[in-house]
Parts: sequence; C-alpha cells; structure tokens
Amino acid sequence: MALYLIARIADETIALPATEIGSVVEVDQIAAVPRVPGHVAGLFALRSRVLTVIDTRASLELGAIDRASGMTAVIVECEGHSYALLVDEVEDVIEGGQAEPCPALLPSSWRRAARGTIRRGDDAILLIDPATLVAGPEPLAA
Amino acid sequence: MDDLLTDFIAETRETLEALAGEIVAWEAQPADKARLDAIFRFVHTVKGSCGFLDLPRLQRLSHAAEDSLADVRAGERSPDQALVSAVLAIIDRIGELTDALEANEILPEGEDEFLIAALAQDAITSVQDAAAAVAKINVLPATPPTRTVSRSIRLPVELLDRMMAGVSDMVLARNELSRLLRAAGNNSATDVAFDRLSQCVGEMRDAITRTRMSRIDALFSALPRMVRDLSAELGKTVRLEVDGGDVELDREMIEMIRDPLTHIVRNALDHGIEHPEDRRAVGKPEFGRLRIGARQSANQILIEVSDDGRGIDGERVVRKAIAAGLVTAEQAAAMNWSRKLDLIFEPGLSTANEVTGVSGRGVGMDVVRANIERIGGTVDIESTPGQGLRLALRVPLTLTIIPALTISVAGTHFAIPRSAIDELVRPKGDQVRLERIGGELVAFIRGVRLPVVDLGRFMGLTDNPEPALLVVLRAGGGERYALGVEAVHDHEELVVKPAAPALMASGVYAGTTLPDNSRPMLLLDVAGIAAAAGVRVVHEAVEEQPVERSKIKVALPTLLFRDLDGVTRGVRLALVERIEDVATASVVETGGTLMLPLQGRLTRLHRAAALPTGERLRVLRLSDGTTAMAYAIDQVMDVVEMQSEMAPTSTPGPVAGVVLHEGSPVEILDPYWLFTNAITPANDDSPICLVADSEDPWAREVLAPLLGQAGYRVLFAGEPNEDRISVIVTSGGSAPDGVDAPVVRLRGTPDGTGDESIYRYDRDGLLRALSQHVAGGK
Repeated sequence: MALYLIARIADETIALPATEIGSVVEVDQIAAVPRVPGHVAGLFALRSRVLTVIDTRASLELGAIDRASGMTAVIVECEGHSYALLVDEVEDVIEGGQAEPCPALLPSSWRRAARGTIRRGDDAILLIDPATLVAGPEPLAA
Repeated sequence: MDDLLTDFIAETRETLEALAGEIVAWEAQPADKARLDAIFRFVHTVKGSCGFLDLPRLQRLSHAAEDSLADVRAGERSPDQALVSAVLAIIDRIGELTDALEANEILPEGEDEFLIAALAQDAITSVQDAAAAVAKINVLPATPPTRTVSRSIRLPVELLDRMMAGVSDMVLARNELSRLLRAAGNNSATDVAFDRLSQCVGEMRDAITRTRMSRIDALFSALPRMVRDLSAELGKTVRLEVDGGDVELDREMIEMIRDPLTHIVRNALDHGIEHPEDRRAVGKPEFGRLRIGARQSANQILIEVSDDGRGIDGERVVRKAIAAGLVTAEQAAAMNWSRKLDLIFEPGLSTANEVTGVSGRGVGMDVVRANIERIGGTVDIESTPGQGLRLALRVPLTLTIIPALTISVAGTHFAIPRSAIDELVRPKGDQVRLERIGGELVAFIRGVRLPVVDLGRFMGLTDNPEPALLVVLRAGGGERYALGVEAVHDHEELVVKPAAPALMASGVYAGTTLPDNSRPMLLLDVAGIAAAAGVRVVHEAVEEQPVERSKIKVALPTLLFRDLDGVTRGVRLALVERIEDVATASVVETGGTLMLPLQGRLTRLHRAAALPTGERLRVLRLSDGTTAMAYAIDQVMDVVEMQSEMAPTSTPGPVAGVVLHEGSPVEILDPYWLFTNAITPANDDSPICLVADSEDPWAREVLAPLLGQAGYRVLFAGEPNEDRISVIVTSGGSAPDGVDAPVVRLRGTPDGTGDESIYRYDRDGLLRALSQHVAGGK
C-alpha cells in the first residue's frame, strides 16, 4: 500500500505520490520572474527557502490557475530544488495500491505527465509524476 | 598540523573502526574473499597516502602487508593462521602509529621489522610460534598508548547547509520581531534583551559561515609537485615560493579557483620563465622565481601569482590583436598600456609563438577571466617586459554571500553583484547623456560611448522610453555596457542560492536570494543579459586624459549619502554633528518650512524631495558651531576622502558644486546657503516677544511661529511672565499692564490708519519694527 495525495487540476482529479511531497501550503505573494517559461509562475518564500512556483495548469497546457484567490501549492523536491506546484484544490490523502497502466486513450496533455492510475473506490485516478509538472510543456518540435 | 595529515589520521581511524568487525570475522574465516578484499583495500589506501605524506614507517608496514595479501588474493598463498595474526598485528600497529602521529610522539622503531618478518611465508612454521611472536610484539610497548582526544570531526556538507538554513531562518524571524518591537514602541528592557539576541544570532551566523571555510593550502599543496614536474619537462629551473596558505575561504570557492590558478601557473612556467641559458644571457639568475601568495583584504581574497620571466609585451599583444581583427589600428593607437595588456584576456588571442604540450594554445586567459568573473571575482594584470608578470585574482570570501546592489524597475527588485558594477550615473547634462542611434539607445558617459540595455524593456516590465538611471557594468572580457534601471535601493550582503533550472535556462539570472524583507529576489547574470540582449562589443578607444599632477588637491573627509530624490550627494564631514532617526510624525510644517524638534528645539529641516511615507525618517544634523539644522536623507552611503576642488553650480542653492568621485559626479551641499536659510533657533538668550492676544488663534498659529523663526522667544500674555520682555506685539487689543516694554501694534488691513500700526502680513515691516525696538531697548 502507498499513500497518495489527491488534488484537482483543471477539473481533473489527480493523485501525487505522497512520498515525494514535502507539504501543502497556502501561497499568497508570488514574486514574478520575467523571461522564463510560462508555467513558471514566479518565486515564493517559505521561511528561509525560496521556492519556484509552478502553475500546473500551464504545465499541462490547460490554461492557468486562478491567481486572484488564496492559492494552494504542493511542495516537492526535484533535482535538488524546491518547487511549489500550484493546484486548484487539495482534496485528501488516501491509501491506494500499486499504480496500474494508463488507459490507452488519454488527452495528449495528460499522457506525458501520467505514470499510471490508482483506484479510489470505483474511480480510477491519474497518478501524476511531479517532475513532469516541474519540467512544463514540451518545447515545440523544431 | 598539516590539513592533509589531519585528514589522513581521521580517515585512517574511521576505517580502522569500521574494519574492526571485518578483522574478527576474517580471523574466524580466513578464506572469506570479501573480508580479505576489505582489509587489502585498507592497507593499500594507507600505503598510498603514506607515500604522499612522506611517512616511511607506515608505508613500509602497509606495503609489506599488501604484498602478502596480494599473494593470497592471487591464490599463491593460503591464508593460514600465522598470516592472519601477522596482518592483524600490522593493522594494530598502524593504529598505534596513527595515534602517535596525532599526539606527536615517536614509538620505538625496532618492532616494525619484527612484524614484517612475521609476514614472510617461511619465517614462522608453527601456529604456536606465530602466536608467541605476535604476543611478544603485543606486549612490547612498555607504556600503554595514550590516545589523545581528537579535536576535529568530519561532517557532511549537507548538515552544514542545513545549519546555515536554520540560522537564516533565525535571522528572518529576528527581523520580523524587530519590526513588531518597533511598532509596539519603546521598552528599553525588551530592547536590551533583543539586542543581545540579535548579537548572538549574528555571531552564530558568522561561526556557521566559517565552518564552510577551508584553508587555501588545500589549493596550494598540489603546486610544488606540479611546478617540479612541469619545469623538469620544460628543462627549466624554477624556485617556487608559496605564502599565505593559512588564508581561509569557502570550500566551494577553492574548487572554483583550482583550474584558473593551475592554468596561470602553467602559463608562467611555459611562457613566462625563460630557459636557464636565456636567463643567463640577459643577466638573470638561472633559477626562475615563481611567487604565489594569498591574503585577505576586507571581504575579498587576493591571490597573486608573479614570476620574474620575460613578461608580456603590450605592443606585441596589440599587434596580435590587430592581426586577429579584434581591434583596429586606430583603436589600438589610443590605448594605454594597461588596456593593451588587457587584450590578453580577449578570446582567440594567444601570445605564444609555438604550441606546447604544457599550456597548449588558444584556451587562454579569456577562460581564466571568465571563470573568475563567474564567481564574482576580478583578474588584474601587470607586466614589465623582460622583468616579469604579476596576475592578481580577487575573489569573494564565499560563493554564497555576495555583496550586491539592489535595483528596481516597475516595482520589481533585482540584485546585481557589486563586483560587476563600475559606476552609477544619471543621464543628464553633458557628462552623461542618452541618445537613440538607429533605434538603439546609446549612452555617452564623459565621452565614452556605451551600449544600453534598458532592464525594464528587456524584462518586459515597462515601456518607458528612457531609463532614469544607468548602472555601468563589466560584462566580462573587459566589455562594458550600461543597464538602464528605474531606481537604486540598497547595498546588501545577500545569501545567494542557485535558482531552479527553468530560471537558469533563461541565461539572465545567476541565482535567487531572500533579503531581510522576505521577498524573494533574483540575482542578475550581468554577462548573460549582455548576451541575451545582443549587446555588441564596443571597444572603448578613449584618449586617456593626462592627469595634472602639479595641482595639489586637498582631500576632505566627506559623508556620501543618498538624498530623498535618489541623487548621491556629499556633505563635508566637519559639518555633520550626528545622524539621527526621527519619527516622521514629529515633523511640523510652519509657513512653508519644515521644522523638526531636535533636543528640545525646533530645527529647520531641509528636504530635496517629498518626505518618505515611512514611520521613521533619517536626518543629518548639521551644525556650523552655533546654528543647527536638519537635512532629511534616504541613506548614508560612505565616508570618503574627496578633493576640495569642485565645479561650482551657476545659481545659489543647496548644492555648491559637483566633484568627481571614483568616476561619478557627486553633488556637494552648500553649507553657506543651507545655514543662511536655516533660521537661528530661539534660545535662552534670545529677545523675548510677548504676544498680548493669547486667545486669538491667529496670534498663536500664524504670528508666533513667524516670531519663533525670526529668533524670538514667544510668550503669551497670562503665561508666567519673565521680567526681561523685550517687545510686546498686539493686534488691536491693549498691551498687558505692568509690562515695561515697547509695543508694536498690528492692524488687519493693508491700508494705513494714520497711527504707527503695522499691517499684520507686512512681514518685513513687522520684523524691522521688532528689531528696532529690541535694539533700542538694550
């Protein structure tokens, strides 16, 4: 059994592996960073750490997270750097089994990010790899 | 003790402890291959280190054990009990000798041979004999070895980083607490306790920063060997002098300097120092001298490498540069010596005529400079042809703490490393102007043309046509450009951390930092911005202005400050009584002038622009000996020696003139003008003016401040009187009884009514009348 964090991104319920998550925080002030890819929302200070804020909707090419209201972010470590992944909502932490393969037909935006699916009751929930959210949309082929 | 030796002792002891279990297991099962390998590795490592550290006894012991174990590993010998015992005895002995090394003791040498002999295959035939021999050895030390308590421990760098992060958190918490305390008002007991806490936190931060420090010896210790090998290869004789190995700097920084320093030393040996016969021919000693020294100056480390070789000929460098198309002949003709030498740092320029295996060709000083500048350092070169070359590397103490200037555009703050900044200028007047050439902004700063990158537009933050301020930056390789910004804020020491890859990929940021206000900020990559903005290299071909040495300039200590309008101004230090923080709310405006209570007296406050909105205001208290006034400022910057000669301004005003300081114009305040306009404050000796109409608001709020400004002490009728009243002022009402003083009557209309009354807004008339009466009364 493994623990998963259940969150919502762009009306889709997704799961993130809890072992890769540091914490869930409220993000208020984001310092904008010019000249960076669109999914990098800016910088955010969590105590003495500076986190890079990632707009997960933008990473998946599904628009942008509403920045007006109080934002919720999932803190992850990726290659030695700390990131705050902005999500629309954090729902729950559940226990689940091993991930199963992805359904064959997935919208392209999700296909790259999904590691598989896990089950919650009768629902299948996409298990998302945080590293792909950090990496952002693939650059257009040259 | 030598750092390397300390490392060796710590490492050996650590492995011995880890090996203790293996040894016991091996003794029980001598055929166990894995155990044998572990022990073999240990003696092999010890042997290697000992050769390096020149510890012959340990080397001999470990070498012998290694040989025997190698035989076992190769299957040429079976690991019998005798061998196991002998190896174990040697391992014990290594432990004893290591302890002795640390305690600086010497153990008797005789037993070593005995131990080594015990290893030999045919030396001891029976297990009993071997055991007896080993036992004999083990009882040999007459006194039990005194193991000294080790004063050093090994720690993973991550743990130190975590400690550093913890202290940074504490600093932030302290800053927040400090804000809260200020807001809550003064409580001296709390303040004292808080100050103590602040001091402790500061000391702790320094201590933890120091844990990341390492002696520069770690860098220098490899040099003697390298110089020996290289000079042998090149057929040269070189005497190396190393100095200042005890200077400490950040471990990471040492690694960053290693390659550039190696490159410089190779260059010196290969191209600088001549062959012995050539040296003899020019009358130099056969031994070439190479000096490498390090010392700390302020928050920088200076590493100097100098040799007495043939040096670099600036003229030859220029010829090469012209041939390579890097500069034109006209540009070269206008260059001074140091500019010519600086060309050596240009990419694609190598002065060596022949390619050698030692330093090769092409990868040259441009890489050295780029590497040093990347870590916030600088490289300077000095050369006398035929006499030698001196290179000075200046690097910051740590990679992580960088002195930086904070600037902003459109409300977004950025930090720029101080080491990259040449000067700050404001485009105005003839000295500094901005022009648009072919759509591109170009700055002309004292006749030098520089490309401009407007940060606001570059970052897509504003579309203002022209930047308010220019920061002249060195982008590396001697290339300069001006970065247009909106405002300059603070000089700060910032803790810089690497930014996420997505940010670094933009090529314009060097890292992130968290200043005391807890708002994340980015450190700009000065060279990266130049590249991303497509700044073209402009070689400055400027006639060096001959310095007139005949004029003796008097340097006066001058306080530099940033004025409220953002301009850097200076005031002669002799005039500054003190620098004070006052409550902004205590500033009162009377008759268009600002007054500030300082030490119980209203003092005139001069300001160059609107007062800031914050709670506290910083003021300079200026005094000419008798008169005091206050000057509102943004921030004190520095105290410098500045020449007395200045270009005077044409109209009288708060600024007397402009002085060039380190290439930037600085406006110097005119004390004469300021004090002329500062009203002499009333004091106990001032004449007393009694205002008769104490109930009249006009008298209290309009008349009294005017009188006060004019230097009178104001009393109102009905207040406790003093008998020294000089003059009475009344508007319409009667003069109070029992006061023997001349009376000045005021009237409400401009038209005269025939009496001697004065129109109440006839300021000059009123003051004249008052002063006549005061003078007459005395």
